[in-house]
This record gives sequence, C-alpha cells and structure tokens, in this order.
Amino acid sequence: MDSAASPSLDVATPERVSLSLPVAGIGYRCLAYLADLCLLFLFWIVAYFTFTLMVSDVLGFLKGLSGFTRTLMVVGVFATQWVYWTLAEVLMGGQTPGKRLVGIRVVRVDGSPVGVLESAVRNLVRLVDSLPFVYAIGILSVLLTRQHQRLGDILAGTLLVREERIDLDKYTTPATEASAVPAPAGSVRLASEDLELILSFLTRAPGLEPAARTRLGTKLVERYGGLDEAERAAVLASPATIEAFLRARVQTER
Amino acid sequence: MAAPLPAFVARRRPDWDALKDLLDRQRAGSLRLEELRTLDVLYRRAASDLALAQTFYAGTDVHRFLNQLCGQAYAAIYQPPRERLASTLAFFRHDFPRALRANGAFVAASAGLFLLGILLGAVVVLLEPRGAELLVPENLRDSIARKEMWTDGILSVSPPNAVASGIATNNLTVLIVTFASGLLLGLGTVFALLNNGVHLGSVAALCVHEGMGPKLFDFIAAHGPVELSIIVIAGGAGLMVGQALIDPGELPRAQALARRGREAVKLVLGCAPFLALIAVVEGFVSPGDFFPSWVKGLLGLALGAFFWLYLLRAGRGEATSRGVS
Repeated sequence: MDSAASPSLDVATPERVSLSLPVAGIGYRCLAYLADLCLLFLFWIVAYFTFTLMVSDVLGFLKGLSGFTRTLMVVGVFATQWVYWTLAEVLMGGQTPGKRLVGIRVVRVDGSPVGVLESAVRNLVRLVDSLPFVYAIGILSVLLTRQHQRLGDILAGTLLVREERIDLDKYTTPATEASAVPAPAGSVRLASEDLELILSFLTRAPGLEPAARTRLGTKLVERYGGLDEAERAAVLASPATIEAFLRARVQTER
Repeated sequence: MAAPLPAFVARRRPDWDALKDLLDRQRAGSLRLEELRTLDVLYRRAASDLALAQTFYAGTDVHRFLNQLCGQAYAAIYQPPRERLASTLAFFRHDFPRALRANGAFVAASAGLFLLGILLGAVVVLLEPRGAELLVPENLRDSIARKEMWTDGILSVSPPNAVASGIATNNLTVLIVTFASGLLLGLGTVFALLNNGVHLGSVAALCVHEGMGPKLFDFIAAHGPVELSIIVIAGGAGLMVGQALIDPGELPRAQALARRGREAVKLVLGCAPFLALIAVVEGFVSPGDFFPSWVKGLLGLALGAFFWLYLLRAGRGEATSRGVS
C-alpha cells in the first residue's frame, strides 16, 4: 500500500480508460544512475587498459597530441556517454540497463514511448543538470517539480514512471493444511479493501516479529472470522493456523 | 456488485499473462502478424478490466497491476512513427531554415550580445593592455608573448565541472552550454555569449597589440565565420528557452517551455552537422601554413556566405521549392 499522495502520470487512452502510472522520484533516479555509472566506469577502465596496451607512455602520448586531436578526444569522451544513454533509451524502450534494474522507464508526458529526439535532448541537457557538482541543479529540479523532472526532462517533455513487480499469485494460491483448521463460515461478503488487507498481511507475515504476527493475525481473525468460541480457540492456537484460516477465508470468496 | 477479487483474478488472469508474454515478445521484435492482432484484442480486454478494477477494486494490487500492464501495452501499440531518412532530409531542406527565420529576433539579439562582448573585450585590452592579464588565460598570454600561435580552439567556456574532462575547450561544449544554460532564465546564455565574446575580443586585441594580427587572422579566417554564426544561433535558441520561462504568455510555464523548447532544439540540432563540417576545416585547413592566408580568407568568406544563404533562402515559399543546394 503506498500513499495516495505520490504523484502520478494520468493518461487518457483512446479506449476511454484513463491510466495512472506512478512517477519515479529521486531515490529511483539516483539508484538507476549509479548502476549506469558503474557500467560506464567499467567501459572506461577497459578502454583505458586497452589503450595502455597499445601506448606505453600514456601521459607523454596525450601531451604529444595536437590541439585538434585533443579536442576530438574530449568530444569523443562526451559523445560516448551521450550515445550510451540515448541509444539505450531508444533501443530498450525508454530504459537503460540501470533503469531496467531499478524498474523505471522514460516516457513522454502523454505516456507514449520516447523517440530519438526526446532522448537525445534529455541526455544533452545532462551537462547542465550535472552543474555545478553532483547533479545539484538536476536534484533541485527533481525536488521542486510536481512530476519529479530534471531540467532535461522538462525541456524534452519526458518523465520517469515506475514499474512495480506485482505478484498476482497471492490471489490464487490454494490454502494449505486447511484440514486442521475449522472451515471459515464465509457468511459475510468481504469487500475488496478487506481482501487486500488480509492478503497484504499474509504476504508480509513471514517477515514480522512473532508477537506482532500473532497480534495482527488475531485481530484479523476476530474481525473477519465470524466464528464461535471453540472454533476461535482452535484457530488462534498458532500463527500457522491463523494464517491458514485467513487464506481459506480469502479463497471462499470465489 | 462485482465478482469477489480472487474470482475475478482467477478468471481473467490467463488473458493478462498472454498479453504480458506478447509484450515481451514485441520488445524482442519477434511478433507475427496474427499475434499482433491478438495483442490488440488482449489490450482492449485488459483496458476494460482496468475500467472494472477502477470502479470496484480501486487501490488494490490488481488495480495497480492492470494500470501498469495497460500502460506498457499502450506504449507498445501507440508507438511514435520511426524517424526516417526522408524526414531528416525534409528537416534540413526547410524545417530548420524556417525555424531559424521565424525566430530571427532571438538570433539577432544573440548576435548583438556576442558582438557587445567582443567590443568590450577588445576595447578594454586596447585601452589598457594590462587588462589582458584579467581577460586572457595565462597559457595564451605566454604563447602570445613568445610570438607563436597556439593552435588550440580559440573559444572556450569552462563549465565548472569535469564531466567532459578537464579541458573543456571545444566547440561542441560551447554550443551545448550556450544553448542549455538558457534554462537558467536565459541568464546563462547571456553570460556564455558575453563571456565568449569578451574572450575572443580580448585575445584578438592582444594579438593585434603584440603585432600578431596577421597570424591570428591566418588561423581563424577559414572557420571563423561559420563557427561564430553557429555559436550565435545556439545563443538565439538559448534565449528562446529563457524567454519562454520569463514570459510564458497564456500557457503554464512548463508547457510554454516544452513548446518553445522543441522549436529551440531544432535550431541546435540543425547546427550540429555544420559544426562537424567546420571542425574538419578547423582541423585540417586552419593550422599550419599549407594554405596561404588569402586562400583561407576567401574560403572562410565563401563558407560563411553559403551558410547564411542557405539559412535565409532554403524552404522559402512552397515546400516544393528545392532551396539552395
């Protein structure tokens, strides 16, 4: 359950259904950037060492270059980065390897996928975003804009949306060891919010403190169980039986 | 009342999984035509499921899942058209020159600022040669004092970051910084233009003062006109961006910026190939004395004239006009 206050991108599709995609904030951006930075760094290390294999005296070689070749090298260094970001975003449908790892994607502000032009622009403006140090301007811009865009995004008309990995299995997993537990009455229909509450408890239960696990489970059983005394005692015997009961309770909603 | 959630998921999930699978295949680029039709049908079904989920299961994980699935499918189905060679040609044949002419005022303002910088730099150095110690970098002063030409790029703007390595003395950086710093309410562009102008003016004046005028002319004559024009155009684009921020008119600032920014980016992108061409001239014609000075001067004049002729004449009137080739 995340807060309703987090910003989202609303898209009106031609199918008359409005999508709302969650916008990725600064944390996701930083993570993805760091991952990509590692890749680029790796590339530069490899490039540097292959270079040293060919040229023994690197500093001397650089000093010996003419101004024009030196200029070409600087442009080359910048262009390599720029091409990396842009090509990745264009070829991987708005993602770079780092973004894929974190699960965010670049889209246009209307939700359609980015083209070459947008991607080229937003990665050119990286130069300005990274001024004066550690992306200060970019970070300020991300913090201050409603859709968490950096300057490059604003200029290119793009933003980053989150892609969560949502597990639908929890809705359909059959109840295990249901035999030891009294069958849930199922007299009361559960609303979808209640279902969601029970399911999120079941998903998180293995990671909870034992005391809290029992306490929350008991609360849920009392609220949605509809059991009499004897059955309740049987269900509340251990966390395992509590959760088995709750799972069965959800399954009866078929 | 809608079906309970688990039942709904159990019933519709095969379709969703199939759609997800097709989307992965589509990204990998191995879809056949009939599968494409299936994708379309499945997307519509998922969209209607999403509508149902919005109504009855709002805020659940199923709702979020469908949102995401439909978002991905929407992105896959409504892809922007691929940029092709033809559209690139059309861009240079009329879009770019037209965009430039439409925003001539900004380019003129940019040229004015740049000239102002040049005049300032030159006047200061000519009136007070010691002022050069402030305006001209030390390594240039040394080489001028030794009466020899540095064959490095003459323009430089030093963004205080070491992203593109320590020596940011290249035209591309100048171009990008001049344009992109327009995002700082246009002030960055104004500063970059003035700064480059002062730099150029002071260096030129110092060279003239030290009796190296001919040598300087010899170096910059061939590529100077076009290169400075490109800087000025990039400055114009930066001023456009700044203007959209300061005076967005009837639109919200973000929208004004996106709209004007797209136009401004056209100017910068249009300049890119010319910048590459002129870099070749700068690298192979300008340094050394393989070509005599007057040849370089003539070449510079001719290139500059062609460049501006193209900018001012191409794509006039009908789209069918061939422009200047």
